[in-house]
Amino acid sequence: MEYSQITQFIVDQNVPAQTLALLLLLPVVATLASFFRQVVGIKAFGIYTPSIITFALLAFNPNGLKYGIVIFISVIFIGMVTRYALRRARLLYLPRVAITLSVISFSMLGVLIIGGSLNRTGLAGVSIFPLLIMITITEKFVAVQLEKGTKVALILAAETLGISLVGYVLISWQAFILFILAYPWTVLLTIPLNILLGKWTGLRLSEYVRFSRILSQK
Amino acid sequence: MFALLKHSREVLGMNARNLEYVRPLNRKRGREFADNKLLAKRLLRKNDLPVPSLIGRIKTHAELEIFDWESLPESFALKPNRGFGGEGILIVYGRKRGRTDAWVKASGAIVTVEDLKTHIRNILDGSFSLTNTPDIAFFEERLKLLKLFKPYAYRGIPDIRVVVFNHVPVMAMLRLPTRESDGKANLQQGAIGTGIDLATGTTTSAVVGKSHIIEYVPGTRLALSGIRIPYWNEILRIAVESQSVSGLGFLGADIAIDRDRGPVLLELNARPGLSIQIANLSGLKSRLDRVKGLKVKTTERGILLGKNLFGGEIEEEIEEISGKRVIGSVEKVKLIGKDGKEVIVEAKIDTGADSTSIDTDLARELGFGSLIDFFDSFPKPSVQNDTEAFLIQESLRKEYLGKHEDLKDIVFVSSSNGISFRPKIRCQLILDSIELNPKITIASRAHLQYPVIVGRNSLKRFLIDVNK
Repeated sequence: MEYSQITQFIVDQNVPAQTLALLLLLPVVATLASFFRQVVGIKAFGIYTPSIITFALLAFNPNGLKYGIVIFISVIFIGMVTRYALRRARLLYLPRVAITLSVISFSMLGVLIIGGSLNRTGLAGVSIFPLLIMITITEKFVAVQLEKGTKVALILAAETLGISLVGYVLISWQAFILFILAYPWTVLLTIPLNILLGKWTGLRLSEYVRFSRILSQK
Repeated sequence: MFALLKHSREVLGMNARNLEYVRPLNRKRGREFADNKLLAKRLLRKNDLPVPSLIGRIKTHAELEIFDWESLPESFALKPNRGFGGEGILIVYGRKRGRTDAWVKASGAIVTVEDLKTHIRNILDGSFSLTNTPDIAFFEERLKLLKLFKPYAYRGIPDIRVVVFNHVPVMAMLRLPTRESDGKANLQQGAIGTGIDLATGTTTSAVVGKSHIIEYVPGTRLALSGIRIPYWNEILRIAVESQSVSGLGFLGADIAIDRDRGPVLLELNARPGLSIQIANLSGLKSRLDRVKGLKVKTTERGILLGKNLFGGEIEEEIEEISGKRVIGSVEKVKLIGKDGKEVIVEAKIDTGADSTSIDTDLARELGFGSLIDFFDSFPKPSVQNDTEAFLIQESLRKEYLGKHEDLKDIVFVSSSNGISFRPKIRCQLILDSIELNPKITIASRAHLQYPVIVGRNSLKRFLIDVNK
C-alpha cells in the first residue's frame, strides 16, 4: 500500500493504520452530516448520532450491513413499543429510559440466540460495541419522542439511518480510504468547507419543497 | 424556474433565520427572557402589558409536598416555566362536582391532586424544559374563549402570532387548535395557521400542520378566510411594545384574546417558526429586507408602517372571490386612439357619471380631430329644459349619425353650465390591465384636474376602494 510520508511516520509510531483511517474519516462523516442539515435539510438526530451509527455500520462488516440495518430498525421499533407499554405507568424520565434500554437489551439477546440457532453466524459474530452503540440511540429516540411526538422521532430516525448509509457507502469505499491515507492533509479541507456551510443562508432543498406553494406563485 | 429562483430570495429559510436574525439580534438576555415565562411575565406586567395572572408556583419537591391544593381556583392552567412548543401544559375547566381535590379537563377526563403531583414532578425534573434541566411549575389564570372563535377552535384557545422586527409588525397569523393538535395552538402539533392581512386584521389563507393548505375548518363548511379579528390595533400594539421590553430584535409574540380581558400576551418566541409564511402565502425575507434599517421612533409609527407596507393581501382575495378588480378613485389609464396612438393619463374614477368622457384636446391627440371639427361645424340650438334637449338630440341623431365614421352617438349633458350636446366615439381604454372598448363622450375638460373621467359604463368589472 502506498502511504504518504506523514502516514508512514504515524504508522511507524505504532498507531494502527485502521485507527488512523477512522480518525481521518470522522471529520469527513461529520461534514457529510452538516452538509445534509444545512443544504439538503435532513435533520437526523444531530451530528453525533449519524456519525457514530456510520462507524457502527462499518464495524458490522464484512457482510454485516444488513444486520446493522435490521438491528437499528428493531431497536427503534422496540423503543417505540416499550414507550406505549409504559405510558400508563407514569414514570419519570430516566427510569423510563432505563426500562426501555433493558427491554431492548433482552430483545437483542433474543435476536442473537435465534440468529445463532438458525446458523446465522454473521449475526452472532457481531461485535458488542457497535451493538451497544445501536442500543444507546434509544435515548435520543425517546427524548425526541417525548418532546415532538412519535411521528417526528420516526422521521428523524429514518433520516439518521439515511445519512449513516450514505456515510457508510463513502467510508467503506476502498479507493476513498486509500486516497485519504495517501493524502491525509485533504481532510483539513473539511474546515473551510464547514465554514462555508456555516455561513450558508440560502434555502435548504427541503425548504424548496416545504415552501413550494409560495415559490410557485406567478 | 426563473420565478422559483426569484421567489426563493423572498422566503426566509431556517439557515437565514438563525444566522441573520436570531443569532445577531436575539442576544442572551432576550433569549433568557423568551425562555423563562415567569421572568417575562414579571417584566411585561411591570411595563403595563396584559399577561395572564399568576396563581401560584412550585419550585422544589419540598414545596410540592406542602402546597395547599384547596387554594387553587375552579379553573387554571398548569405550565412548566421553561417549556416550549406548548408541551407540558395542563388545563382544567372546573372542579369535579362535590370534590375539592379533583378537576375536569376539556376532554372530560378527571384530574386529581395525585395527577397534578405527578405532572408537577415531571416538570420539576425537567421533562418539558428545553435542555431537560430542572424546572419550575406554575399555575396561571385560564383564559376564556371568545365567542367569535368558538366554531373555529377545537377545545383550546386560539392565539395570534405576530412577527415583529425593528418595531414593525411584519407578518401575523391566527393559530386555531384542532383535534390533531389536542387543543394546542401549535402548528407543529397539527393546529391550523391562518394568514392575516396586517392592514385590516382579516384572515386570508390557511395552512394545517406544517405545509398543507386548506380553505375550511376540517369537517365543516366554515371558511377560514375573512374572519375579522377584534382588537386588531391593540394586538399589534402589544406585539410591538413587547419587542421593546424584551430586547429581542426578531420576535414572535403570541397573543390570545380573553372573553373578558381582551388581548393578553401569552408568550414571546426568540425563534419564531417559518410556517407563518405558508399561512400567508408570502415570504418573510422580502418583508424583513424592506423594514431593515428604518428608523422607527414610536409604536404607532411601526404599526402604521407594517399596515401600509404589508397590508392589502385581502384585496387580491376579494378580486378572486368576486372576479372583479379593486381599483382606487384615481387610476392611470391607457387610451389607444386611431392609428394605434397610445396615451397614458390619470383618470378620475366616478361612479356618479353615466359614461366615460375625455377632454377635447386629448381626443384630438388621439386622432379624433376631424370628428370634433365636423361636430362643431353644425348648428346646435340652445335649449332650456331636458324635454327640449331630448327632442333636439333625436333630430341631431337623425341628421348626422352615419355622416362621419367616428361619430357613434350624440348626447345632451346637463351640468351647472346649462345643457350642451356632445359627440360620442368608440375608443379602446385599458384600466388596471383590463381592456375595454367603451363609447366615450368628448367634452371640454380643460378647466378640470383630470382629462379623463371613467364612468359607470366602463366600471362593470371593477370594485372601487376609496382609500386606495
